[in-house]
Amino acid sequence: MSRFFYSKIAVNNIQKNSKTYIPYILACICTIVMFYNMSFLAAAKNIGNLSNSSSLRQVLIFGEKVIAIFSIIFLFYNNRFLVKRRKKEFGLFNILGMEKKHIAIVMLLEMIIIMIISITAGVLIGIILSKLIILLLFKIITFKVVFGFEIPIKSVIHTVILFSGIFGINLCYNIFQVHLSNPIELLKGTNAGEKEPKTKWIIAVIGVICLGRGYYISLTTKYPLAAVGGFFTAVILVIIGTYCLFIAGSIAILKMLRKNKKYYYKLNHFVSISSMIYRMKQNAAGLSNICILSTMVIVMLSTTISMYAGIEDVLRNRYPRNISVNAYNVSENQIKKLNDVIEKQTSILDTTPMNTVSYRYMYFITTQNRESFTIKEINNYIPSDAAELVFITIDDYNRMSNKSESLLKGETLLYTLNGNIDGDEINLNGFKFHIKKRLPSLYKEGRLTSIMANSYFLVVDDMDTIKEVQNALKGDNGNIEYVSYYYSFDVNAKRDIQIKLTQALKKELIRISPKIDIEGSESSRKDFFELYGGLFFLGIFLGILFIMAMVLAMYYKQILEGYDDKERYSIMKKIGMSCEKIRQIIKSQVLTVFFMPLIVAVIHLIFAFNILTKFLSMLNFTNVRLFVICTIITVCAFSVIYTVVYVLTAKTYYKIIRE
Amino acid sequence: MPILEVKNIKKVYTSRFGGNTVQALSNVSFSIEKGEYVAIMGESGSGKTTLLNIIAALDKPTSGDVLLNGESIVSIKERDISAFRRDNLGFVFQDFNLLDTFSVQDNIFLPLVLAGKTYEEMNERLKIIVKKLGISDILNKYPYEISGGQRQRTAIARALITKPQIILADEPTGALDSRSSDGLLKLFEEINNDGQTILMVTHSIKAASKAKRVMFIKDGEIFHQIYKASMTDEKMYQKISDTLTMIVTGGERNE
Ligand SMILES: Nc1ncnc2c1ncn2[C@@H]1O[C@H](COP(=O)(O)OP(=O)(O)O)[C@@H](O)[C@H]1O
Ligand SMILES: [Mg+2]
Repeated sequence: MSRFFYSKIAVNNIQKNSKTYIPYILACICTIVMFYNMSFLAAAKNIGNLSNSSSLRQVLIFGEKVIAIFSIIFLFYNNRFLVKRRKKEFGLFNILGMEKKHIAIVMLLEMIIIMIISITAGVLIGIILSKLIILLLFKIITFKVVFGFEIPIKSVIHTVILFSGIFGINLCYNIFQVHLSNPIELLKGTNAGEKEPKTKWIIAVIGVICLGRGYYISLTTKYPLAAVGGFFTAVILVIIGTYCLFIAGSIAILKMLRKNKKYYYKLNHFVSISSMIYRMKQNAAGLSNICILSTMVIVMLSTTISMYAGIEDVLRNRYPRNISVNAYNVSENQIKKLNDVIEKQTSILDTTPMNTVSYRYMYFITTQNRESFTIKEINNYIPSDAAELVFITIDDYNRMSNKSESLLKGETLLYTLNGNIDGDEINLNGFKFHIKKRLPSLYKEGRLTSIMANSYFLVVDDMDTIKEVQNALKGDNGNIEYVSYYYSFDVNAKRDIQIKLTQALKKELIRISPKIDIEGSESSRKDFFELYGGLFFLGIFLGILFIMAMVLAMYYKQILEGYDDKERYSIMKKIGMSCEKIRQIIKSQVLTVFFMPLIVAVIHLIFAFNILTKFLSMLNFTNVRLFVICTIITVCAFSVIYTVVYVLTAKTYYKIIRE
Repeated sequence: MPILEVKNIKKVYTSRFGGNTVQALSNVSFSIEKGEYVAIMGESGSGKTTLLNIIAALDKPTSGDVLLNGESIVSIKERDISAFRRDNLGFVFQDFNLLDTFSVQDNIFLPLVLAGKTYEEMNERLKIIVKKLGISDILNKYPYEISGGQRQRTAIARALITKPQIILADEPTGALDSRSSDGLLKLFEEINNDGQTILMVTHSIKAASKAKRVMFIKDGEIFHQIYKASMTDEKMYQKISDTLTMIVTGGERNE
């Protein structure tokens, strides 16, 4: 048999299976376009011209990796579906005298054809779209346009290598599958999953436990810092839980319903329950994929949209004043110089500081044991018993909060941010304070915004006391000259003047001490837009990719079930079920199966809400209301897309049934 | 009054684009009395399935009429047809047509569930039938777990459970080995002896020789018929094969 003969068979096969292959090739092309574009952005020279290019670049490189991993899983999964459907065909070839070796050649040729089409089209379309994509990215992050057109060779090579690799792996899997099975099995191929699934109680229980634990973590997370670790644990638990519940839980529930004779032997229930039990085995994985993808899309979009929309809030949170100066361990003399420099520089630029906030403070990282604290050397990570103590004087406190409290030596006003001290005593390595009052709130800015660990803010009578505390905690005996100083203010000036002022201050203040930080909200704004805009862009980008994956997953599910159900319904028709009834049952069943993942996704989201807000607050986003609104909008928009996809793919299903 | 009357049925299949037409049945008439066991014989492609589908109201004839208990089934409205079929007819198909998502018991229940019967009533009927058919042990199994003969018995149980006026069987032994076929045919004789009317189409002489009357269909028409009366199975077998030889060699019609 000639090469030509094989390629003819291969082309023929693809045409014959066009109903499944065209969507597959389209999905391959879309994935390649997406990957190329992300890879392109990660490598684009234009990005290098941005001020905060490295963090944006990091976001994009991260995106490239996510898409690469996603592509591997996604295309492999769909390939598996295709092979399963075609086993019968290969079995027939086998029985008609084609050796497995020859089948492998046909498969190889098919794969090469698909690969060439997909990669060529994908890269070409990707290159054409890349200009649009980079324009869009720049629009989001800087509101500027970019000029020029580039084709990073590196990205093209990455794309070709990655996807050739994916196709190669898929081919090996397919050949291996055909190689493993005998012709009879191949002939049965598609119908292989016919045995009624057993109820896997252990898996169902594991599912419930994982899901419960994941939800619990999410609901009980109080501190933003804990949200980081907790978030990923919770995500993994919920993913495992979702799979287990879809796979085992659904069958357990359906079988329980089937046990109830009165309920089960009603026409609608009878047909739906039995076919869903049967179907769940094949579809549970697909449904959980859809559910998890949906959850990811919604979370990603709602968080990135909120952050982008709330960027001004974030800036205001992060920089309560236009300009802030934080000086660590400086002497009184240096503080005086610092104040002079600020006054001078502002007057040079013809403005005056307003809404000034300033205070002296000292802070210690300690280990807390109930009401006792001892000093702690911090390394790279912060253990859970770590506590931060920040001291300010009563004078600064009264000035900042317009109060007129007074304190005796050994007395303190305590404000607690996360953490807990019972009783009225605090023991700082021997130095004791009596808690005179607990403050319900504290003006927060600078060091007072700590969100890292359990934090306690102590207002004490004067600077000397603070120094004594330091002696007690650190065991130093000398007289300490240094304190930390925070000074912030607004200026009534345009954006560029503010940026100029920040730069001037930076230059001047560094001469006083290298341990002085200056931050200006205006000079940081650009950085924020680049980072958050980058994340927003990535969110949309991945959102589109995931939605595409979902569309394909749904489409394949419909086809698979269409062929399965077709025969079943024709039998029922012969036995005396009316077409009308059949249509009605099909509809309710398809609706249940289809919207279950979406409903579960929304439930996940509701439980995730707490941990997400904590997570966001770590990124200085605290506008819960905005987040709620963005989430609701995202959920609604997503549901609409989901429904549209459902309606379109359901058409295929009905067409198959009616054929 | 005959239970089933088929009057001048004609069926022409037209391909979707109007071009080709196939005349599957040209002019078929016969009637069946209550309690009869009739076999219709014919070669493959002679229109047997077409005829049965028309009697079953699964398909409409091009012209002619089918009366069940004097009532025309051709003129039954589309939305009442399913219920009519379910209440009056029982089907046994060559490829069993069991649903693989249902256990044997649920497959048998299916028509009753469609008719909205209660579980108690269904169970009542099931017990009697299942015992007679010898499938009590496999009720909780699934179709893919049982043999061909057992599947066909399940299909018969499903046909009988609605207490139909007439059982329509399309090549019921077609997919069975000879031992299972024998069992099945014996079963048909037994249910017929209990008074059940049966109409079976087949191209197996052996199957037809068990029936009380055999009609031969050729070129879309009933060509000839034989009554078994008191003949033995062997004698009937001989007579049928003689008739078939005659049909093939083109002998003239023998009334
Ligand atoms: N749906 C159909 N469309 C067109 N022709 C058909 C259709 N069904 C059957 N035929 C034709 O009608 C004739 C009789 O078919 P059928 O009743 O199935 O025969 P049998 O069951 O005796 O083998 C055959 O020539 C067949 O090709
Ligand atoms: Mg036939």
